[in-house]
Amino acid sequence: MRIFRRHVSDRLAPYIHEARAADQVERHLAKCERCRAEYVQVRAGIEALQRLPLAEAPASIWNSIESVLNAAPAKRSFAPRKIAFAAIAGLMVVGLGYWIVMRSAARWEVDGLGGSPVVGTEHIGRAGRVAAGEWIETDAESRARIQIGDIGSVELAPNTRARVIATRPQDNRIALQHGEIHARISAPPRIFFVDTASATAADLGCEYFLHTDEDGSGLMSVASGWVSFEWNGRESLVPEGASCRTRPRLGPGTPFFEDASDGFKRALDDFDQTSSDAALTAILAKARVRDTLTLWHLLSRVAAGDRGRVYDRIAALTPVPAGVSQEKALKLDPETLRRWKDELAWTW
Amino acid sequence: MLRYAVATSVFAAVALADGFTFTIASPMAAQEAQFKSAAFVFRTERCADPAKSQISASAEGIVQAKRRSVPLKVASLQKPGVYAVFQNWGNEGRWVVVLKGVCAGETAAAIVPLGRKGFLRESAKFFPRPATDAEVDASLKSLVEGDSK
Repeated sequence: MRIFRRHVSDRLAPYIHEARAADQVERHLAKCERCRAEYVQVRAGIEALQRLPLAEAPASIWNSIESVLNAAPAKRSFAPRKIAFAAIAGLMVVGLGYWIVMRSAARWEVDGLGGSPVVGTEHIGRAGRVAAGEWIETDAESRARIQIGDIGSVELAPNTRARVIATRPQDNRIALQHGEIHARISAPPRIFFVDTASATAADLGCEYFLHTDEDGSGLMSVASGWVSFEWNGRESLVPEGASCRTRPRLGPGTPFFEDASDGFKRALDDFDQTSSDAALTAILAKARVRDTLTLWHLLSRVAAGDRGRVYDRIAALTPVPAGVSQEKALKLDPETLRRWKDELAWTW
Repeated sequence: MLRYAVATSVFAAVALADGFTFTIASPMAAQEAQFKSAAFVFRTERCADPAKSQISASAEGIVQAKRRSVPLKVASLQKPGVYAVFQNWGNEGRWVVVLKGVCAGETAAAIVPLGRKGFLRESAKFFPRPATDAEVDASLKSLVEGDSK
């Protein structure tokens, strides 16, 4: 029992709030890893609670309280039991809230895979942790792997700098300032995001590589599953085997399969930056069946007058499925386009 | 003309047989994250009631010059008539997956060769009847010969 009494779990909250027993607590924290971990959790919980907005109780609550207080004395004989019940219920609510806050304020584990990656200002060596708001950086000699809770991992290549934005169960988010990451995520869609200066990669259950420069120039390549690359209302859906560039002020470009011809890729690069007619003509001429991934995206990116050319080229490469009408496709009817994309994906 | 090869392999069976057949694709076509690690996915075509169809598959291989056969469990996806095949065969040797289905009295089959980096869509063969042993052996032989070229 002595060993349990020596821990400072019950003094952490008063210490954080009012620096009570600071000397004792700090001396203990310096020696006790368990209490340090607990301290970090309690502090994160308190900080999260402090960020919650204050809400005024509705008047009806006060009316209820007043009516209970004004009730007949005979009914008050049950008051102690009610108070005890209310206290227990209140404690349960607080406990649940604390648990939720603790979960939402989780810190991710970091493995140093070489060299000495930095979290915040500290070199972590072989293992460390990173919380929301903290930066993690590798130099030319170091690499690091972040465990994204229990949904996957993100590996940082050398010379990469990223900041953890959110570690909530439904919103796990990293901002990649520069460098390259390799993300392996096994989770329902849209739980893990990577922000860059010119696009956000939203995981749809996948594995991918994402490189970006500080100005937002970058390339994402998908190894399995799908990734949605988004910016300012523009979305590129990138499946396994495909890549997508992103550019400052333009956002995600048009996705393409990596085994497309060099001429096709060059023309697409040109079109994404200039929207030139010559580039579009070259894309359409060089497209294979599999490149309908690119053509499907171009339907909504070319000038309205050019949509017919793109539609005709897709239709020449693969039969247009039932339920996809030319008229609706050219009007960019969302349901028609979705249905067509789902069907085309069987050829990609 | 090669650019039409993929489209041909995907849609030829439908066009030629004009009856019950299969379409094969990369797992991402199914758009269900839990099946992304499948070797490939396939779906029934022209099967009015996929729920009542009977689907089976086996992996047929040549490992160290010996024929191997591994029965496969076909996983049903959420969408009716869509299935996934997971690799349940060794990494050694060369393999094809043989699919067989029966829908409303009609039979369909396919031989899907597997390359080093995944299934070979362009070399897949589709039949309006069960694939014969000779057809399976011929596909395997052509895989092995491809290695020696």
